[in-house]
Amino acid sequence: MSLPPDLIGELETQVGPEHVIVEPEQLRVYDCDGLTGWRATPSAVVLPASTGEVQGVLRACSRASVPWVARGAGTGLSGGALPVAEGIVIALTRMDAILEVDLGSQRVVVQPGVTNLDVTRAVEADGFFYAPDPSSQQVCTIGGNVAENSGGAHCLKNGFTVNHVTGLTLVLPDGEAVELGGRSLDADGPDLLGVVVGSEGTLGIVTEITLRVLRTPEAVTTMLAAFHSLDAAGSACSRVISSGITPAAIEMMDRLTIEAAEQAFRPGYPEGAGSVLLVELDGVTAQVEHDARAVEALCRELGAFDVRVAQDAEERRLLWLGRKGAFPAMGRISPDYYVQDGVVPRTRLPEVLRRIEELSAERGLRVGNVFHAGDGNLHPLVLYDAAAGETERAKDLADAILEACLDAGGSLTGEHGIGVDKVCAMPGMFSERDLEVFTRLRAVFDPAGLANPGKVLPTPRLCGEVPGPFRLHPLERMGVAERF
Amino acid sequence: MLRPASLQEASDALAAASTSGRTLRIGETLLTDRLNRVLQHEAGDLTCTVEAGIRLSELRAVLAPHGQRLSLDPPGDPTVGACLAASLSGPLRHRFGGPRDLVLGVTLVLGDGTVANAGGTVVKNVAGYDLGKLVCGSRGTLALIARVSLRLHPVQSAAATLVVETGDAAGVAHALLRSQLQPSALDVLHPGRVLVLFEGVEPAVDAQLAAARALVGGAAGDEDAWAESRERQGAALGRLRFAPRDLRNTLSTLREAIVRPAVGVAYVPNRVGGVPPAGVRRLERGLKAAFDPAGALA
Ligand SMILES: Cc1cc2nc3c(=O)[nH]c(=O)nc-3n(C[C@H](O)[C@H](O)[C@H](O)COP(=O)(O)OP(=O)(O)OC[C@H]3O[C@@H](n4cnc5c(N)ncnc54)[C@H](O)[C@@H]3O)c2cc1C
Repeated sequence: MSLPPDLIGELETQVGPEHVIVEPEQLRVYDCDGLTGWRATPSAVVLPASTGEVQGVLRACSRASVPWVARGAGTGLSGGALPVAEGIVIALTRMDAILEVDLGSQRVVVQPGVTNLDVTRAVEADGFFYAPDPSSQQVCTIGGNVAENSGGAHCLKNGFTVNHVTGLTLVLPDGEAVELGGRSLDADGPDLLGVVVGSEGTLGIVTEITLRVLRTPEAVTTMLAAFHSLDAAGSACSRVISSGITPAAIEMMDRLTIEAAEQAFRPGYPEGAGSVLLVELDGVTAQVEHDARAVEALCRELGAFDVRVAQDAEERRLLWLGRKGAFPAMGRISPDYYVQDGVVPRTRLPEVLRRIEELSAERGLRVGNVFHAGDGNLHPLVLYDAAAGETERAKDLADAILEACLDAGGSLTGEHGIGVDKVCAMPGMFSERDLEVFTRLRAVFDPAGLANPGKVLPTPRLCGEVPGPFRLHPLERMGVAERF
Repeated sequence: MLRPASLQEASDALAAASTSGRTLRIGETLLTDRLNRVLQHEAGDLTCTVEAGIRLSELRAVLAPHGQRLSLDPPGDPTVGACLAASLSGPLRHRFGGPRDLVLGVTLVLGDGTVANAGGTVVKNVAGYDLGKLVCGSRGTLALIARVSLRLHPVQSAAATLVVETGDAAGVAHALLRSQLQPSALDVLHPGRVLVLFEGVEPAVDAQLAAARALVGGAAGDEDAWAESRERQGAALGRLRFAPRDLRNTLSTLREAIVRPAVGVAYVPNRVGGVPPAGVRRLERGLKAAFDPAGALA
């Protein structure tokens, strides 16, 4: 695709010629993110090294009316970093410095290209950690985490990325840099920081982030409870939460994912398990001990036939091994798989899981379930074989699963974002009016529409004129049935 | 004075004001006292959805029988909508966050009467822009907050307060924050006192209290100490922010204050001025024009 003639030259002036990529071979590296079914080759890739360079690049794009897509490690699962062919990709991977460790404030200031795990690495010797822990944490960047408001297994107790970002620098699409928040919390004025986190790179580029780090807990207990059925594990999960215990994590796996993990990594999960719950408790010792006894009793009461408690770090690693390796393990038993990210209220887990089983049987495709049960965030893995022409069927099944989540009062996505993947499903969750207001917000930051176009909000070009099946918003379904 | 009792009435009121060029002030000429129902409380999910005119005391009465609470304890008895709009919180802010951390979804009536939903009722959700957070701190200038879905917490079976009389509140606070104790609240009643709240099962609360006393001294206190903290916070006119590591310096410049050391906030007797940076002001003006184009909200 051709860019305006002078633009490449100007970008080279901004970041140095060696940091502007235009070779078709090299551009192809950037043509998709973790959602590999969607691809587009950008016209150029630029790798700025500072806030000032990002400003220069965005000013140049703004003058030339060229759209752009920010990119971190490209591990996103909703196509958020999918390039636009007539635009450029701005990769933040060179901005990977930890700028300041301020343990007196329990804050760390980083550039966006720093990986998630490196934040914890920078403070763990001092007894601190960065709480949000996406499974991709070894590679994914803080910039990507901020854009997606990423979660992880341990977000149940401590919250998501948005609860751990206290300040950031945002470069607006016209090149102006804005500082939001700081090291203290509770800024005056509308919570712009709260809306920028999770905005999927559509409001600007985040170039500096202040994160909260937490003190490592005194005690950690990890246990694995095996159940005969998925239903029983789902009930146990919602009972643990409603009993007043807040575990650090509750993860769940079904028979298919357990078997796949067992074949691939041999974590040694109890034989014959139809599902397992992995529960981690942390905090002060006396509380953790009490809660561990209570969780074990609840699980047994609800049908757990085996409960194992890790006695040391090695046993804990083994218990987590199956869960952490579940995605790659699925890759070994199926040529292709597609991950969904729907959320349901915890109390509706059992019925939604049953519905997924029905849908899977109806459509004749296997679905593995391995997910963040504690906050109702499902990750159904639809297994299919693209070579056998099953792609369409898999997509239909995945859509039907999302619909079941929305019907239960849930959400399209708990942590992977809308991106391009779920953009046409947005009208199933939000009314035309809601979406129009989202558009107003976006235009305040990006009036020219250059920031990650085609993501998050549906357009007729992408999704056709007919809005998707519309469901009542969960708020409207309750008692007051007003429709606007 | 307008007192809408439904979303439709609120929308009509703001649409009419926008057309006629009138300006309404939420809490003065536009009241939400008739929008005060609990629409849903899903105890098993630890979530609820309320109309934003409900007062915290009313909500507390609904949740308490289920052993649950909204972990927001600002001074006085504001409405949920006011908590969001003014970003109000109390001692529990330390552990449980502010309104922005507890809101799951909202229904807004924008200045031009448009009704919009954002977020949802589930505890985890990243679909769409998080307008529920955006309106936190917006002081009713962008939209009337009509409904709010909230994350709740279980009320723990035991609680204990530690009161430390000290000439070195900063040292005490830092020692506690550096430890592995997990208090629910930690306030400095400047000058001279640090309050710490522990919640949990009894043996854990006892253990934490003992460990904290071994670390920083002090004696067991009670609910009155927290009532005093909230009262003094309520009487304060200004909210001052500081980087938590600057606690000692900050205290040395203040004669009296209620301070949340981990949050980096001090409630002080005098008003605190300050204009946001130019870029922030520009975004705020843009939002105002987008959500309340006719200026119907003061
Ligand atoms: C195996 C695997 C496991 C995963 N597990 C989890 C999980 O447990 N939890 C979870 O939440 N996610 C998970 N993910 C998804 C993904 O890792 C996260 O969404 C992550 O935050 C993306 O970071 P990234 O650096 O790869 O961003 P990218 O994929 O490069 O970009 C993601 C989005 O962020 C935008 N962006 C990137 N940098 C910036 C910036 N500086 N400023 C503005 N916008 C920016 C991009 O435009 C894009 O919209 C997983 C992915 C994989 C492949």
